[in-house]
Amino acid sequence: MKFQLNEKQLGYAMVAPALILVILVTLWPVAQSFYNSLFDYRLNDPSRSERFLSSNMDLERYANDYFYLSRDLEALEGQSPDPDDAAVAAEISQEFEAYHAELLEMDGLAEQYEEVEGMIASFTAISDRDLKYASVENDWAEDFKAFLDDANEQLLTISNESENEEFSTTAGNVAGSLDSVNTAVIESNFIGLSNYQRYLTDGRMWQSLSNTMIFTLVSVFVELVLGLMIALLINRAFIGRGIVRASVLIPWAIPTAVAAMMWGFLYDGQTGIVAHYFEQFGLIDDASVLLSTGAGGMFSVIFADVWKTTPYMALLLLAGLQTISGSLYEAAEVDGAGKWQQFWQITLPLLKSSILVALLFRTLDAFRVFDLIFVLTGGGPANATESISIYAYITLFSQSNFGAGSVLSVIVFISVAIISTLFIKFIGSDLFAGKTNR
Amino acid sequence: MNKRAGIGFYIFLVVFVFFVMFPFIWVFLTSIKPPGEIFNNFNWFTADPSLASYENAVTNRPLFRYMWNSFVVSTLTTLIAIGFASIAAYALTRLPIRFKGVILGIILAASMFPQIAIISPIYNFVTAVGLRNSYMGLVIPYITVSLPLAIWILATFFQKIPWELEESAKLDGASPFQTFRKIIFPLAAPGVFTTGILVFIAAWNEYLFALTINTSDEWRTVPVGISFYQSQFTIPWGDISAATVIVTIPIVILVLIFQRRIVAGLTSGSVKE
Repeated sequence: MKFQLNEKQLGYAMVAPALILVILVTLWPVAQSFYNSLFDYRLNDPSRSERFLSSNMDLERYANDYFYLSRDLEALEGQSPDPDDAAVAAEISQEFEAYHAELLEMDGLAEQYEEVEGMIASFTAISDRDLKYASVENDWAEDFKAFLDDANEQLLTISNESENEEFSTTAGNVAGSLDSVNTAVIESNFIGLSNYQRYLTDGRMWQSLSNTMIFTLVSVFVELVLGLMIALLINRAFIGRGIVRASVLIPWAIPTAVAAMMWGFLYDGQTGIVAHYFEQFGLIDDASVLLSTGAGGMFSVIFADVWKTTPYMALLLLAGLQTISGSLYEAAEVDGAGKWQQFWQITLPLLKSSILVALLFRTLDAFRVFDLIFVLTGGGPANATESISIYAYITLFSQSNFGAGSVLSVIVFISVAIISTLFIKFIGSDLFAGKTNR
Repeated sequence: MNKRAGIGFYIFLVVFVFFVMFPFIWVFLTSIKPPGEIFNNFNWFTADPSLASYENAVTNRPLFRYMWNSFVVSTLTTLIAIGFASIAAYALTRLPIRFKGVILGIILAASMFPQIAIISPIYNFVTAVGLRNSYMGLVIPYITVSLPLAIWILATFFQKIPWELEESAKLDGASPFQTFRKIIFPLAAPGVFTTGILVFIAAWNEYLFALTINTSDEWRTVPVGISFYQSQFTIPWGDISAATVIVTIPIVILVLIFQRRIVAGLTSGSVKE
């Protein structure tokens, strides 16, 4: 009994590292993607380049502005030729200082502010985000921003109405500085589900989703039929098995991007041999059709995928075929069953779980298609072959829009989850057969 | 399995192999044409073969550097994945632990994860730890692809190793770890090796992570490097053909040597009962 317990503990200890690693590198990022999708989060926009659940103050910017603004506001009061204007300036100055004092009273902010000021004085750029940004209460940030807007407006009015040119210019400048302080107060970019709302009504999203589905359904279906035929044919003794096996393995083994480059060359409207022959045989009107029209592009992508992955399908099915005992066929032969009957009565039922497993993996693979289309057509012409993964990639990395792009990532994830659930319902426990039972 | 292969079958076979290999044949024939002859000319064979395209392919872009990068990244990925996976797969198939179904379910789910769903947090992470444009910057994300794959395949192999050997080792007083090292591992080694090849190929072919994380040319891997041969203005098909031939050769060699392994790996595992 003691040995058993130790063995069990050892088992957990042996599984733990791999399991933790898997969770860290997959489940955690998916959770992050989902979290990101709730924000207006853009890497190329400084005020949105972080995810702020609460309001924040860009202290670097604020401290810089505060230094001048505090001085200028005081000076403005003294400069004013009109006592009413002086009173307004004094009030703004006072209120501004009051907000400043409130800010410094917040938890730990005085020290952080001092440190930031020190770095500004020595002209050091602040790269530490924790130092640069201080979280402030939403209400306070709102009040402060309202005050700054208001003060800015008041000073602009004074500046416009005043007849003293010098005072008018100064007031205008101070109003500008107030505006600058305003941009240092960053309100939360948490926008909840509005990114999702946007994409559910986005034509390009639906187009890319339907492109992906067409690609997946057609390519996987053709691959299954062809793969099954090939598997049945090569599941016999013949001379040259090795050559055939190697030749079907090579398309599967080369990188998809390399295959896509090759097919790009073969489809090319000017130099492409496949496009040329298709034109010669009257399959297409013009050699350029393959890559310059939507239907041609979709055909090209599917054709290349079929070429590349049918061998993989055939191999998986061949593996299933070889587990079927030859004696079953001998018995069927004795009973007088024809080849066709043998296929439907023996091969197909016994191959069912192999087919379903192969379909599951191929469907999921096809649904997340990226490199083949990205390299071959780039999603074009006119987004006609753009898959949802490509749309997500463009949003994430070409537009640096991590919030919106994450929505598309999450959509891919959810679609994949739905597809797998459906398949696993069909396959049931067969998927784990022979793995969990001792 | 006694189906006889007739002459019709062999004719079919030749046609089939020709169609499958056609892109490679054509690309190879293009790569030895003089660059000027490639355009507007559909002759199969050139009158004067030339290696000019090969020279351009390796001088215009650092193709060998790409191959070296791919090799290092794929090797590291394979070693790490196999290390963790063989231990975990052994425990999952051999030791009496609970929740095996749940754990295998998580691993299977992870292997089905679309890369695009995790790329942005991974990108942020790799950027934050300063690993952009480095080997480790790719090896870490590649674990997402390779580890679940490796555990899944290895679990199949380990399951097929006869139970009795382990029982007798246990009777002789071997600890579970000793059993693993002395009995299971040698028996499972062919399976582990096959899994290694499959993981290596998967890592070698990966595109999306390599494209986004290693953006500097000297850190690009083969798939990404190849796709950058086309410039905005011209597409140097000669260079591309030559580069394709060069990067395909190692894969052809790998497949020729290990084809039985790769195929057998999918069929029966290592030990026949």
